[in-house]
Amino acid sequence: MPVDHTGTQYSVSSHPTATEHRLANGLRLVLSEDHLTPVVAVCLWYDVGSRYETTGHTGLAHLFEHLMFQGSAQVSGNGHFELVQGAGGSLNGTTSFERTNYFETMPAHQLELALWLEADRMGSLLAALDQESLDNQRDVVKNERRQRYDNVPYGTAFERMMALAYPEGHPYHHTPIGSMADLDAVTLDDARAFFRANYAPNNAVLAIVGDIDPEQARQWTEKYFGSIPRYDGKVPPPDGSLPDIIGTELRLEIEEEVPARALMAGYRMPPDGTRECDAADVALTVLGQGESSRLYNRLVRRDQTATSADFGLLRLVGAPSLGWLNVKASGGTELAQIEAAVDEELARLGAEAPSAAELDRAQALLEREWLDRLGTVAGRADELCRYAVLFGDPQLAFTAADRLLSISAEEVRAVAAARLRPDNRAVLAYEPVTLPGQEAGQDGAAGQAAPPGRDESQDGAGQ
Amino acid sequence: MTDAAVTMEFHPQPGAGTPRPWSFPTPERSTLASGLTVLRCHRPGQQVVAVEISLGIPLDAEPEGLDGIASLMANGLSQGTAGYSAEEFAAELERSGATLHTWADYLGVRVSLEVPVSRLRKALGLVAEALRSPTFADSEIDRLVRNRIDGIRLELANPGRRAAKQLAHELFPAAARLSRPRRGTEETVARIDAAGVRAFYQARVRPANATAVIVGDLTGVDLDAVLAGTLGSWTGGPAGPVPDPPPGADDTGRVVIVDRPGAVQTQLLIGRIGPDRHDPVWPALQLGIYCLGGTLTSRLDRVLREEKGYTYGVQAFPQVMRSPAPDGAAAAPGASVLVISGSVDTASTGPALADTWSVLRTLAAGGLTDPERDQAVQNLVGVAPLRYERASSVADTLADQVEEHLPDDYQAQLYARLASTSTEAATAAAVAAFPASSLVTILVGDAAQIREPVQALGIGAVTVTTG
Repeated sequence: MPVDHTGTQYSVSSHPTATEHRLANGLRLVLSEDHLTPVVAVCLWYDVGSRYETTGHTGLAHLFEHLMFQGSAQVSGNGHFELVQGAGGSLNGTTSFERTNYFETMPAHQLELALWLEADRMGSLLAALDQESLDNQRDVVKNERRQRYDNVPYGTAFERMMALAYPEGHPYHHTPIGSMADLDAVTLDDARAFFRANYAPNNAVLAIVGDIDPEQARQWTEKYFGSIPRYDGKVPPPDGSLPDIIGTELRLEIEEEVPARALMAGYRMPPDGTRECDAADVALTVLGQGESSRLYNRLVRRDQTATSADFGLLRLVGAPSLGWLNVKASGGTELAQIEAAVDEELARLGAEAPSAAELDRAQALLEREWLDRLGTVAGRADELCRYAVLFGDPQLAFTAADRLLSISAEEVRAVAAARLRPDNRAVLAYEPVTLPGQEAGQDGAAGQAAPPGRDESQDGAGQ
Repeated sequence: MTDAAVTMEFHPQPGAGTPRPWSFPTPERSTLASGLTVLRCHRPGQQVVAVEISLGIPLDAEPEGLDGIASLMANGLSQGTAGYSAEEFAAELERSGATLHTWADYLGVRVSLEVPVSRLRKALGLVAEALRSPTFADSEIDRLVRNRIDGIRLELANPGRRAAKQLAHELFPAAARLSRPRRGTEETVARIDAAGVRAFYQARVRPANATAVIVGDLTGVDLDAVLAGTLGSWTGGPAGPVPDPPPGADDTGRVVIVDRPGAVQTQLLIGRIGPDRHDPVWPALQLGIYCLGGTLTSRLDRVLREEKGYTYGVQAFPQVMRSPAPDGAAAAPGASVLVISGSVDTASTGPALADTWSVLRTLAAGGLTDPERDQAVQNLVGVAPLRYERASSVADTLADQVEEHLPDDYQAQLYARLASTSTEAATAAAVAAFPASSLVTILVGDAAQIREPVQALGIGAVTVTTG
């Protein structure tokens, strides 16, 4: 434990706890009580994501997530949305590489409705799934792709980064949104087969968090989900292991209609669930999170070669994680100048451990992030599901911040030395096709590249 | 059909349990000796305290030709103080697990802090230092100016931002601050220097004009003592009055295409001027707009997304732009911009607009149904405990009320007013909000492909612009 760490005196509201249960059909249930506010979060994680998709079938997991909102045996077309929103709830689903999640946050007295709805589609989606829904949602998803990736500056950066950093044929080589051609090719039979293979109770974790009576919640879960048959034909996830180091710098020079030069780099990092991954998180925070990180101070404040400099960690369990550096150049700055400074700062961290004050700052930021994440019933439910699905133990959610706080300065240095090297990165170098400076002013917040968040693709009410 | 074979045991849809009462919290209002107004609100369990400081500086206070100076001043507050360099200040805040955001909008300049309650005193001390003794060093302001100019170029490339800029330009006369970007243009920002920022700060940033909203679990916190040792040390007399010219507006029906050759989608932004939240019509307006475009089961998405697949989603919403005190000396009432916003694939631009107008005409002809109205009320009212789970959302709403000169119990009362609004009133408000004959339509997209089909719709004269 670091000395004089500023953040350790507070903790998640009232030290939450969780209990675990398993139905006879294999559905795992995690319950966590919190009576502060009369709300409840229902979160259901299915252990399936885009890593299961094969060549020619990219985007299927995400498109399927949309189909889950198109009705089931007892729920009409848009009934899921209508019933939840009409009950004063909010809802959504998201798809990432390693999981698909569905969630409802409800006024506490509407918990039973949310469970009934989730059980109905887990057990009977195929009773309602038809060609019309598939064709409609295929068009919606293609427009989602255009809106979020194809029609915004740097919008395809994340997709290009994954394609560059993870080799051809690797399960993480493509992102959850998928390609237009593959989306066009999805058939009703593909969707049905996908459902049968993955949407079974023994491939899911249900978390219920909030103002609940745990015994009642357990009984309702048994009542609504208990009769859904298990499926034992699930194949294990494809092997995503790779050598620790890429071995050579991979590089893509991109000339595109973007407003500024940009340097993006993906470093191959340790997989989630390891102490080295937590050390990497701290290292990247020292380097590139917040407004007093090393790279922010160097590039934005001192050199003034960049308008922004962020370094974040995309945690992956079934493959090496990705350290994602995103620097937008200032004015006419050449990327070579930025790159030299980045290399210098990364090498410096590898050579010399961060100061106590720097470590303190990074860990306070990370602890705050966890405090925010576990501070709502929906956030807590999602994290409990995450640790249950990916690591087999939901309780790990409550100790995640402690693990980050236990990382030493030397561990930070070591992971930086081992990983943050030019021969261990994939680089996207953006060059505008027309130089900036000929356009008029504009309002609002900055345009952004697709972030390397865990929720790569989302379906929703479009808020 | 074997695919539909279902082996689970079905149960009827369950009913609801007994709701636990919930109401939007009532803040406690007080005033420090410096004149700073304080709104405090204890929220059990919220270990991350939210502090929203509204400085009471609308953009109308910006000097002529210096659009963006309020925003730069706000950003400059945290870039060095009497006691800390810019780097030290950021590091001290971050070591406290705190996040600080500062920004300027038409209604006011805001300083927004979130910090674990154990570090509230430390972080509030830093914020007080930023408000009391910012240095606005030449080098820092020059950097912010250059970054801002780069930022303007980034934003211009975003179709949604570009559309918003054009809509404001179309709706409001050029002389009105509301017609121009919040954070200025390249031209106006380039004129801003540190001396100007310091002068603007001196003239406008005063505790007597400001309100601090503090929300969180304050158990065991002597907030008065914390305030005395932090924000209480920020002093100074009141600022002079801010000019308040009536904005005027032109919402004659027309279409403006911002040309983006080769764009795969068209960004739609269809808008008009509406009232502010003082207007008694507001609850009906909120309900009506929700029924039209609040969610994917609302009328617009039901057709455009769920039937036709033209879009990932279209939303309708109001945004308050001007909200003078109702009993004040303002020459004109408040204003909002009511919009329908979304993006559609380029080839579907004409059909999507045709369907949008068809939805609006159907609404005007037949009105909303009772079940639609009930669904909207149940969502907007029922979702409140979720929406206000975190301290930051409570603080944000309270600070918005302050900036809009609304009473502290506005949000609490709004829920009761929504519940008593009739279907007829919601229909009338929605129809008045979006009259098919006079809407300003901004399209950011490929003019060569969309111009003709849009012209054929007869929704107003079509012009094309660039940039």
